[in-house]
Amino acid sequence: MPALSVADAERFLYAEARLLDERRFEEWEALFTDDAVYWLPIDPALDPAQAVAIIYDDRKRLHERVYRLTRTPVLDQNPPSRTLRLVSNVEVTPGADGEAAVDCRQLIAEMRPGGPGQQGLNAPRLFAAHCHYRLRHADGAWKIVLKKVVLLTADEPQYNLSFIP
Amino acid sequence: MAVREETLRRYAELVADDPREFRVHGSVYTDPDLFDAELRAIFERTWVYVGHESEVPAPGDYKTVLVGTQPLIVTRHEDGRLYALYNRCRHRGAVVCRQERGHSNFFRCRYHNWVYANNGDLIGMAQSTGYPDDFDRSRYGLTPVPRFENYRGLLFVSLAPEGPSFAEHIAPVRRYIEYWLGRSPAEAVEVSLPPHRYEYPGNWKLQAENGTDGYHGNYVHLSWQRVLALAREATVEESQHYRQSGSARGLAGGHGLLERPGSLNPNSSWTARMMHRYPDYDAAMRRRFTDEELMQISARRNIFVFPNLFLFETHFRVIVPKAVDRTEVALYVYALKDVPEAINQGRFRGHERFFGPAGFGTPDDIEIFTEVQTGVRARGQEWLLLNRGQHRERVEDGEWVGHTTDEAPQRALYRQWRRLMADA
Ligand code: FES
Ligand SMILES: [Fe+2]
Repeated sequence: MPALSVADAERFLYAEARLLDERRFEEWEALFTDDAVYWLPIDPALDPAQAVAIIYDDRKRLHERVYRLTRTPVLDQNPPSRTLRLVSNVEVTPGADGEAAVDCRQLIAEMRPGGPGQQGLNAPRLFAAHCHYRLRHADGAWKIVLKKVVLLTADEPQYNLSFIP
Repeated sequence: MAVREETLRRYAELVADDPREFRVHGSVYTDPDLFDAELRAIFERTWVYVGHESEVPAPGDYKTVLVGTQPLIVTRHEDGRLYALYNRCRHRGAVVCRQERGHSNFFRCRYHNWVYANNGDLIGMAQSTGYPDDFDRSRYGLTPVPRFENYRGLLFVSLAPEGPSFAEHIAPVRRYIEYWLGRSPAEAVEVSLPPHRYEYPGNWKLQAENGTDGYHGNYVHLSWQRVLALAREATVEESQHYRQSGSARGLAGGHGLLERPGSLNPNSSWTARMMHRYPDYDAAMRRRFTDEELMQISARRNIFVFPNLFLFETHFRVIVPKAVDRTEVALYVYALKDVPEAINQGRFRGHERFFGPAGFGTPDDIEIFTEVQTGVRARGQEWLLLNRGQHRERVEDGEWVGHTTDEAPQRALYRQWRRLMADA
């Protein structure tokens, strides 16, 4: 198995950010392993099995999330969010069993365009997050086993986080 | 004084309790002066939910809350008793606590270092020689709220010394709260987790109306119904059929509920399904309740307790009005006491799937609140219709009972709103 360099990790994270920004959600979903977890805690110190999170998706729930966004008549993403993700401060920690841990910071700018005077639309929002990934090398590619996004405002009230932070 | 009475009368006229066409004027969502009047006439007079006793289990535990827009502390003193105090130093007005929740042996004001015990007693003053020897500290403790009630662990305050008692306030909805508690064989729930919180640019009553609205589900939540179909949990037809069953009830005092029928059949109610799956739970429930009671307990209800609380299957939903067009909502997920751990874990995961700012249901509701808040600024025709089902509504035991898609709970809400706004 190849070691994951910081440059490799950056390439991977940029590609992931691009898929999300371009709303290629099904391709994004394919980055995850079958045993993957996508997690946005309210309090990252709490054991997710015992707590309630903003998102705690296993692979099945993640598929539902993508299906809902792409194949069902959602209101909260119609009009859809424009997002623009900056990824930085990438750090790699090699792990055992073909895995590596990647930590980074992300700044997500989000905006939903709409007509004049529409409450909740046309208002840019900024989300800063500490992100932790566990990646696994399988079938010649790195895949996501865990994506944990700890928002700076994780325990603050949020208006609509359905764009996939 | 005359001007003030006139204004209040005008607010009362914004609800037209017409037997054929119950209407509410759109300015109830948009008028900032009316919002201020609501704080005085509703949030600072009637009984407002401030939390559950399990959030402050040990002496020294506290949480801070807003009642209307006033900051309070709910605290447990070393004597084990709960206190609800205004979060305001008696010296020159600074808050004495900044955290949302925590544990402390005292509250120290950071401005000039006055120190208060957890029951509010003033126990320390910096450089106290600046006050005369006969300065009576006992008169300068943190001010307790005029009225504070612990009803089966649910904590309510009233900032008005006079007015209907808590018992009178809660009476119309009391039996439904008891059924709701009955899903725990200990008839108790526990709140120990930080809440889901969302904030939307819209009026607080949009959330209050929506939690018992049985009319919107097939449209706003079609996306959710499609997810259930994907998971093979229910076809869209089954989901829509389910949403036709049960009733919507408006209660005296502004309370209301949306109710799906109870059942002892594991295929037809959550409670029966859990009893079927977990023999210990089944045994505990049958020891505690008769079949007739279990029928009531297993009915699924969204219960609105006027003006700021919903009891849902998974959570307490607390409405915090911030401004006429800004509202915060906190969803405190609770554990049912004395049930198998797997039941509560399943409830947590189920809750996340639909509720909260990234759930598959809540964001669609929030979206609608912003659409109404935008739409009511168009004033060609200023009245909202809340007359659905008036022609087929019946009155049973003082409750207005309608088809599950009818607006009986919303009418009850606005009848109480009008009553309180008229005699503020
Ligand atoms: S304002 Fe609190 S001690 Fe002065
Ligand atoms: Fe809804």
